[in-house]
Amino acid sequence: MPELLSVNGDTHDVDAPVGTSLAHYLREHIGLTGTKIACNEGHCGACTVQVDGIPILSCITLVHRVEGEVTTIEGLRDHPMVDAFVRADAVQCGFCTPGQVVSATALVAANPSPSREEIRHAMAGNLCRCGTYPKIEEAIAAWQG
Amino acid sequence: MRESGGETRLELRRPDSLQAARAALEGTGGAGEPAPQGSIPLAGGTEVVPLVRDRVVPATTLVDVRALVPRGVDGTRIGAGTTLAELEADPEIPHALREACRLAASPQLRAMGTIGGNLLQATRCWYWRLRYPCWLHGGDRCYARAGLHREHAVFANEPCASPHPSDPAAALLALGATLRTDRRELSVAELYRLPTDDDRRITTLEAGELILELDVPAPEASAYLKAMDRRAFSFALVGVAAARRGEETRIALAGMAPVPWLLDGLEALETATPLPQNAYKLDVARALVRRALAEIEP
Amino acid sequence: MARLIKTEKEVEGRYTEQWVVVEEDVLEQWPPGARDTVGRPAPRQDGSLRVRGEARYTADVQLPGMLHAAVLRSPFARARVRGLDLRNAERAPGVRAAIGPGVEPLTDEPNFQGAPVAAVAAETYEQARAALALLEVEWEELEPLLDPEEAVRRDQLIVDPSRYERGDVEGGFADADVVLEAEYRTQTVVHNSLETHQSVCEWEAGDRLTVYISTQFVWGVREEVAEHFGLPEDHVRVVCEFMGGGFGSKNGADDHTFVGAELARRTGRPVKCALTRREENLAAGNRNATIQRLRVGARSDGILTALEGEFVNANGWGGWLASTGGPMRLLYACENVRTVERGAKLNTPPMKAFRAPGFVEGTFGLECLMDELAAQLDLDPLELRRRNYADHDAMDERPFSSKGLLECYRRAEQHWARRDEVRARSDGTWKRGVGLASQVWYGGGGPPSYAWVRVGADARATVVTAMQDIGTGTGTAMAQIAAEELGLPLDRVRVSLGDTARGPYATVSAGSSTLPSMGPAVRSAAADAARQILEIAAQRYETEERLLSLRGGRIVSSDGGSWPLEEITGLLESGQILGKGSRGPNPTGMRVLTFGVQVAEVAVDVETGEVRVERIAAIHDVGRVINPLGASSQVEGGIIQGIGHTLSEERLLDPQTGRTLTLTLDAYKLPTIADVPEIVTDLVDEPDTHLTNLGSKGLGEPPIVPTSAAIANAIRDATGADVRSLPIDREEMLRALRTASRQPKRQRVSA
Repeated sequence: MPELLSVNGDTHDVDAPVGTSLAHYLREHIGLTGTKIACNEGHCGACTVQVDGIPILSCITLVHRVEGEVTTIEGLRDHPMVDAFVRADAVQCGFCTPGQVVSATALVAANPSPSREEIRHAMAGNLCRCGTYPKIEEAIAAWQG
Repeated sequence: MRESGGETRLELRRPDSLQAARAALEGTGGAGEPAPQGSIPLAGGTEVVPLVRDRVVPATTLVDVRALVPRGVDGTRIGAGTTLAELEADPEIPHALREACRLAASPQLRAMGTIGGNLLQATRCWYWRLRYPCWLHGGDRCYARAGLHREHAVFANEPCASPHPSDPAAALLALGATLRTDRRELSVAELYRLPTDDDRRITTLEAGELILELDVPAPEASAYLKAMDRRAFSFALVGVAAARRGEETRIALAGMAPVPWLLDGLEALETATPLPQNAYKLDVARALVRRALAEIEP
Repeated sequence: MARLIKTEKEVEGRYTEQWVVVEEDVLEQWPPGARDTVGRPAPRQDGSLRVRGEARYTADVQLPGMLHAAVLRSPFARARVRGLDLRNAERAPGVRAAIGPGVEPLTDEPNFQGAPVAAVAAETYEQARAALALLEVEWEELEPLLDPEEAVRRDQLIVDPSRYERGDVEGGFADADVVLEAEYRTQTVVHNSLETHQSVCEWEAGDRLTVYISTQFVWGVREEVAEHFGLPEDHVRVVCEFMGGGFGSKNGADDHTFVGAELARRTGRPVKCALTRREENLAAGNRNATIQRLRVGARSDGILTALEGEFVNANGWGGWLASTGGPMRLLYACENVRTVERGAKLNTPPMKAFRAPGFVEGTFGLECLMDELAAQLDLDPLELRRRNYADHDAMDERPFSSKGLLECYRRAEQHWARRDEVRARSDGTWKRGVGLASQVWYGGGGPPSYAWVRVGADARATVVTAMQDIGTGTGTAMAQIAAEELGLPLDRVRVSLGDTARGPYATVSAGSSTLPSMGPAVRSAAADAARQILEIAAQRYETEERLLSLRGGRIVSSDGGSWPLEEITGLLESGQILGKGSRGPNPTGMRVLTFGVQVAEVAVDVETGEVRVERIAAIHDVGRVINPLGASSQVEGGIIQGIGHTLSEERLLDPQTGRTLTLTLDAYKLPTIADVPEIVTDLVDEPDTHLTNLGSKGLGEPPIVPTSAAIANAIRDATGADVRSLPIDREEMLRALRTASRQPKRQRVSA
């Protein structure tokens, strides 16, 4: 069982009971509260983080099973996508936004110039109750400035 | 609703061989099945983790089989540990299966969930998920039949109207796929069984049996169409898979019966036994079956 | 000079009369049009904090020694607790306190599923939740009342029916050439803010309480909590700098806060009490379902002769009676109108305000009925609405403070004119059509609301006010207003908000009231600061104050001189210029409302019942627009929530037990990005010359009001089917199509 977890380049000892989710661990054990928990059962995407560049749901991922490098919003703060979101006003209450950015950065890493359809397909797992979607789509389409 | 008691203490095991996994899983069914000995296999975790956490499935030992189950595509063979996202992206995969994967769940869930685990999904029936002591949980009545069932089964819905949610399962059923487990080979059709009074399970997997690999023969043409309540990230109200190989055309449905449902032609829809709130599913299915058949016409 | 006035205060369509002390609003409005900062698009100032995950929400508050609470909620729609033994829970690992009925608001007679019965505080949330399961409860399950019509028959209502009548309704129907009658239904929907309801409560010295809470109204929470615990209000501090969505559901302190504060009091430790997503779907409020029996009479030229509506709101066990009949009373110039609204008291979770409560539901009914009338009379739906335009408020015979609805209609024409082309794009089983609906709603705000503006030696300004920005971007709008008045670039103005201990009283962020209430107060505070700066500058430069003004970060003299602002503020060293401002009174004898129209384009697959909204043009008159970028986000957000309400969202109860089945976000279907149409926003942007020193009204709610009716009307245009029940899911769409196919075809009025 891996006892070490790598997050944004830092290594942490996993000192938590089995069953602890990655999201809970990030927030409560190592203080990375940028990752939000909104449904805690895999239905909304607010808790999205990347593992080796792939967006996954940290609320239903057991921290003891994580193999690979975890990237959270805290590891993406200098990504141009952040400014693209701010410029486009792709943030309202902001609670889903870190998860949106994590998904968006993974998308453009694989596909730097996604079509509108590709953006919608890749972002459909991140719910936003404020309805920021049009601006999110705009931000991703224009992320390179 | 059952009362749950006390704090759950979970155990996570990572057996290093199939044999060890089998020992760890002795006495259990597949995902979403009652686990008499309290252990359950864990692959992508998208289904098992929430179900165990909510004690819908009363397991306390999670047996991580991810490292033991093959992953990747080799010709017609697909490792059961291959994720839906990988299948969605692979141009060699038959269209119906790719499309079923593309339309399933969300990008994050597709990146996590494996095709093997997807086949073993439990029903989305809210009564079952909210732990009503329903027939499928071993009780004596189907709350959905007497209550709300707009999303429920229109075939074989007596005594239990739970709908089977898997899009890929319907696609694989239409494609005539076979499975290899750690102990036998069987067709996808043989994987599923309608639950009975004596045995409420919906698969024929033996205790602890693991799906390792799928064989999906290439069709001449195949299609998957899905009706949802919203445009993405939603379970099928009606999923229709169709595949043609030579003279043979097979149609399979998702969300229409307690198990993926093989449909013996468009007319067979008329044999359905819809409930008061879900007859609309048949209208939708008629259109989608016609369209799927048109899509795969030579 | 301060003045004591009696004013009508309106929040979410509820009017109360109250005394308020107001300062005269002496500032002239700015002329219409964009200015240096106001009226120009500005990305929100706290955007970066939110996007980078640095904003601290209540969910992120971690205090030393903090305990976690879990609440036992009634699993039954109606029950009596015969016995409850807390002892097992109290002895469970990690548990520090347990409370049950007898402690407000915990109850032993729950009247809806989700009513709080007991609560536990423990070292971890998991421990608290585990302890709940150890509580020994003896329930007596009772028969719930779930049917709103049955409740009306039994006269089981939350308040007396609300009746309104003007003119001679029977006479009006007798004069009509056409009378139409129809029943419309809307479903229960849930706010589902992504940050669930939660608070962290911490006591100090036994009689001071700090509440961190995800709320739309820090001052309201302060008042409620102080009253609950018998504290002076100034002993309660309420903090909400960032919150993850409210939509009307977070206007109060709510049971989780009282429970958390009580557990914190008993343990002497801070306590977090956060709802789970399932609790949020159960017990955090909802938009109540409605049944609307409507009747309209009209002459053959379309002039309305009578309108009548009987409305049943399925309130649940509480809440208030939202104005489902409001649009019928306010939107058209009909002389003869009668409405009766009844709030059915049921054993279901109580409603709360949800983005334009009542008007969203009532507009669906009324504006669908208007289109059915247009079809019956073979009239153009837009023309029918123009013919019934109300030039004054017929409820009280008052003029409107401003009304740009005719301009909205004019601007809608270009979108409305697309319908032949849209219909022509119908393709096989996909039928396309265009529909529109008008919007009327409140949104004028009011006093009291206060702001301070602080300018330091570095010539930077801070707006200090204890309002909250619930994600609408109003904080940034305040900075724009202050920057405009102070002649400062926007990046030199910041806003400090969200803390009752760090700023003056501010309005609730509900009822589209934050901007129209707070904006004028901020402008007046900034003007006060500007006046002081100019007084000093006049002395420093030995000139007359009346010659000086502030612009572009400089002091500008009309006789040609110009100096950097820092030259004057620098004289302050550690001193500060402090400006204060307050919201002036609303115009007397006038009705302040917002207006608009939306034009929807839809495609309907007539075989599968799938409805796709392809485009919505939203034209609204909300007075002066402060930030066009933030405003367009509000419009898009309202429309997208409206689409969810129209097509996919519905809280479902088990019909036997009254228990909620849609507790999770796979079962309760919010729109995804894939469900979003093209949205065109067009705001009239004319200041309301009678309203405050800004002429701005609120925009949070207007955009959601007409969306469902516009979509339903577009569906009728596309298919000929009348959809009269929300949500328009596959079943409802196919049902409506079947009904339509049995009726004679109607002509479509061509563009």
